[in-house]
Amino acid sequence: MLHDSRSTSIRILALAGLALLAALLSNRLASPARRLAWAGSAVPLSPASPGPAATPRPEGIRPEPVAQEPGKGPLPHSAPSRKSPPPASIATPIPEPPSSSPVREVSRDEAWEAFQAGTPFLDARRGAEFAEGHVAGAWSTPVWEADLEDRLLSFKAARRPGSEDPIVIYCSGGDCRDSHLLAERLLRDGYFHLLVFRDGYPAWVAQGHPIEKGRP
Amino acid sequence: MKPRLRQALRNRWLTLAVRILLGLVFIAAALPKIGDPPAFAKAIWAYQLVPGRLLNPMALALPWLELVCGLALVLGIWVRAAGVWIAALLLSFTLALSVNLGRRHPVDCGCFGATAHRTEAERLADMRWSVLRDAGLLLLCAQLLLASAAPRKP
Repeated sequence: MLHDSRSTSIRILALAGLALLAALLSNRLASPARRLAWAGSAVPLSPASPGPAATPRPEGIRPEPVAQEPGKGPLPHSAPSRKSPPPASIATPIPEPPSSSPVREVSRDEAWEAFQAGTPFLDARRGAEFAEGHVAGAWSTPVWEADLEDRLLSFKAARRPGSEDPIVIYCSGGDCRDSHLLAERLLRDGYFHLLVFRDGYPAWVAQGHPIEKGRP
Repeated sequence: MKPRLRQALRNRWLTLAVRILLGLVFIAAALPKIGDPPAFAKAIWAYQLVPGRLLNPMALALPWLELVCGLALVLGIWVRAAGVWIAALLLSFTLALSVNLGRRHPVDCGCFGATAHRTEAERLADMRWSVLRDAGLLLLCAQLLLASAAPRKP
C-alpha cells in the first residue's frame, strides 16, 4: 500500500515533467505568432478593469488650461485637428483641450478624422485576424504574440512618432481589451497621445472605410 | 460505503468507459490550446486570478499536461497518477469559473480553445454550464480514483 502511493506520486511528478518538456520543445519549434515568452509578457497585464488608464498627464506636456471642460469623457476633434497639414490657414492655433489621460478612447468619427489626417493606426489583434482584414495602412502589433517588441521597433523606425504625436490603437471592439493593453505598453515607452478606437475594426468595416487584407 | 455499491462502482466496463471518456475530453480540450498558446494566455488573463508572471508558463504547460494525462487515461497507462492530475485540474477550473461567476465577471471559458465573440449574459450562462460540466467530470474522476485504488485488505 505504501509502496503503491509512493509510485503514484513519482508518476504524478513524471507526468508533469513530461508535459513541461513537451511544452518547452513545442514552444521552441513554434512560429513567432504561436510562441510565448516563458518569462512573461511584453505588455503590462495588471489592469483588467474597463476604462482607459487614469495615469495623470505629466507636467509640462499639458497645454495651458484655457477652459476646463465641465464633463470628462472623449473630447471630439481634438486629436486630428492638431495634425491637420495646412499650418498657414490657422491664424491662432486652438490649444488642445486638456485631457485627463494620455490614453483616451475615441469614437468612430474621431478615428476616421485621425485616419484622414494620416495618423498611424496600430492593430492590436492577432496576426491571423490582421491578415483577414485591417484598417488600410495599419501596423500589425499583436499584443499576445511573442514578436510584439520587434514589430513595435519596426513601426517606430519607420514612422518615428514623437512622444506627443497621436497614435490610434484598435482591436475588435466590444469588450476587447487588447488595444488598452497595447496603449499601456506604449505609455511605458513615453507616448502620451494614444487614441484607443473603442469600437474597433468591426465598426470601421461597418462604416465602409478603407481596409486592406493580407500579411503585414 | 456499502460493499455492493462499491463493487458496482468498480465495475470493469464502467471504469473502462469512464477512463476513455475522460481521456478523450482532455485530449480534445488540450489540442486547440497547444495549437495557439497566445490565445490561451489571453483566456487565462481574462480570469484575473493568475499573476502576470505565471501567465505564460501556465498557458504553455497546462495544455500539455492535459494532453499527457488524457493520453495516459485513454491508453490505460499510469491511470491513477493521471486521474489525480485531472481531478486537480478540474477542481481548479471549477474554482476559477466559480470565483468569476461570484464576482459576475463574464469570461470566455477557454476550456476548448477560444470561442467567438459573445455577449456578457451569454458568457455568464456558458460559465454556469461549464461549472456543471466540470462537476460532472469530477464525478467521473472520483469513480476512476476509486476504481484504481488498491483493493483494501479484508
